Amino acid sequence: MQKHLSDYTRRSLLKLLGAGGGAFALSHFAAANAFAQQQPAAAKRLSPFTGPGANPYWNSVGPMATYPQKAPLILLTDRPVQLETPRHYFLDPITPNDAFFVRWHLEGIPNEVDLTSWRLHVEGNVNKPLELTFADLLHKFKPVSLVAVNQCSGNSRSRFEPRVAGGQWGDGAMGCARWTGVHFRELLEMAGVKNGSVQVQMQGLERGKGPKGMPSYAFKKSLDLSNPALDESIVAYAMNGEPLPMLNGFPVRLIVPGYFATYWVKCLTTVRLLDKRDENFWMNPAYRVPDTPRGTTTPAAVAADKVKMIPIARMPVRSFLISPDGATKIPAGLPVTVRGTSLSGFGRVVKVEFSDSARGGWHEATLGEDFGPYAFRTWQYAWTPEKPGTYILAVRATDEKGNVQPDEGVWNPGGYLWNKIERQEVVVGEAA
Amino acid sequence: MSGATKKRRTFIALLIGVCVVAVGAIYGDLQIGYYTPVNLGRVAQPAAPKFRPDGVYRVAAYPLYQPNLVPGVGRQDAAAYCNTCHTPSYITMQPPLPAATWKAEVDKMGKAFGAQIPTGAQARIIKYLDTHYTPQTRKR
Repeated sequence: MQKHLSDYTRRSLLKLLGAGGGAFALSHFAAANAFAQQQPAAAKRLSPFTGPGANPYWNSVGPMATYPQKAPLILLTDRPVQLETPRHYFLDPITPNDAFFVRWHLEGIPNEVDLTSWRLHVEGNVNKPLELTFADLLHKFKPVSLVAVNQCSGNSRSRFEPRVAGGQWGDGAMGCARWTGVHFRELLEMAGVKNGSVQVQMQGLERGKGPKGMPSYAFKKSLDLSNPALDESIVAYAMNGEPLPMLNGFPVRLIVPGYFATYWVKCLTTVRLLDKRDENFWMNPAYRVPDTPRGTTTPAAVAADKVKMIPIARMPVRSFLISPDGATKIPAGLPVTVRGTSLSGFGRVVKVEFSDSARGGWHEATLGEDFGPYAFRTWQYAWTPEKPGTYILAVRATDEKGNVQPDEGVWNPGGYLWNKIERQEVVVGEAA
Repeated sequence: MSGATKKRRTFIALLIGVCVVAVGAIYGDLQIGYYTPVNLGRVAQPAAPKFRPDGVYRVAAYPLYQPNLVPGVGRQDAAAYCNTCHTPSYITMQPPLPAATWKAEVDKMGKAFGAQIPTGAQARIIKYLDTHYTPQTRKR
C-alpha cells in the first residue's frame, strides 16, 4: 500500500513535471513574442523615399553613412555631399562637430586646403583690398565667440504637402555650435568700404562643373550692407573650440546669427563689396520665399505667377520633441522626462509648452541653459502617462518677440520656412 | 505491477518531461529574435589619418555610392547626363513628383545651370522620369 502510494505520487510528480515543462515552454514562447513585437525596427529597413504624402518620420529616410571627420549620419546624396543629423543628437544644446549636418550645392568640395597659400580676400568696392592669412585672422583681430543655430533653409522640406522637389530633409538639417572668429564688420572697416556699396557678397572654395559665370560653377550669396545681421556676424575659424570639419567649411565660414544657413558660406575665400544688387541664381530665383505672412502661398498662385518672391532671411520659431521618440513602449505609471530643443531667428525662445492628447491643453515646460539669443534652448517636462493607450505628444515654442509656433504648415515652391507644431505618437502599455 | 514496468514508465515520463522543456526552451529562444538575420547593414569604423606638421590640411576622399535607378528606356541617358554634375540619386531621393515638375527640373538643369543635354536625350530623360517616378508610376 505504501509502495503503491509512493508510486502514484511519483507518477503525478512526473506528469506535473511534463505539464510544467509545457507551461514553461508556452510562457517562454509568449514572452518571446512580446519581445519581438517591440523590436520590429531592428530588422526592417525603411523605404528609400517617402511620398506622395508628407514624410511621417522625424529624420529623412536615407541610410547611415560615415564621412571623413564625421560620425555615421543620414545620407541624402553623396555628390555633392548632403548628410542629416540623427534625432537623438538634439538632446544636447550643442551639436558635436562630428554629428553636424552637411549640405553642399556643387560637387567640387575641397578635400584639402593648404593654409600656406589660402587667403581670405576682401575686395570689390573697397579702398584697400585685403588678403588675409589664417594666422592674420587669429592674431590681428580680437577673437569673438557666440553660440548660434545653423539651420538649412530646406530643413523639414519633406513635411510639405504637396511635396516639392529638393533635398528631402527631415528635421535634422540643423545644428548649434559655439563659433569663434573675427567680427565681420571689422574686416570691412579694415578694407574701407567705398561709398555706393549696397551689398556684400560671399564666395568660398565650392566649385561645380558648370562654365564660369553659371550658378553651376560657383555658389555666391549676398546680404545688404545695411543689414543689422551683419553687425552680429563673424568669420569663424573655430567650431566648438576645434577647427571646422572640412565638410562644415574649413578653414573659415561666415556665421550670420538668426539667419538661415544659406548665407553661412563655407570655406570662405572672398568677401566682395558690390555697388549693385546681386542677381546671381543663388540669390534670385533660388532661396526665395513668398512676400506673405509666414512665407506661405499656394501652388495655384505660383502657377499663375502672382507671388512676389523675396530672399529668405531669419528663421521662424520652432521646437522639437526629441525624446521619447516612439521607439520604446512606455509602461503606464512610469514617470517619463519628455525632452527636446527649440530655436528662433528673431530672438531667444522664452516659453516652450507641452501637450498630451489624454489631458489636452498646453503645459509650460522647464527651459534648459540659456546660451544666448540664437542658440538652441533645450526644454524638458515631467510626464507620467497613467493609462495604457496611444498618446500624441505635442510641443510649441514662443520667442521673445511674441512669435508663437502655429498649428498650420506652410507651402512655398522652395520648401522653406517650415515651423508647424511637431507631434510624436507614443504607445503606453499595461504595467500589471 | 512489475519493477521493470514501473522503471520503464518512470523513464518514459521523465524523458517526455525533459523533451518538452528542452523543445520549448529552444523554440522560445529561436523565436525571441536575438539571432534573427537582419537586413540592415553594418558601418565600418574609419582608421585615424596620419598627418605631417605642414600647412596642408587634408581629409580622405568622400565616398561615392552606386545610384539605384529603375531599369527602363532612358535610364542610360538619365544616369549619364545627370551624373555629369551630381549623383543621379537626386532622382531616387525625391518623393514621387508630377510629370510637370520633372520636366521643370530637367529644363532648370539646362537653362539655369548650363547643362549640355541634347534635345533627344532631354526628351528621353523626361519620359523615363514620367514612366517611373510620378505618384502614378513610382514603385520603388
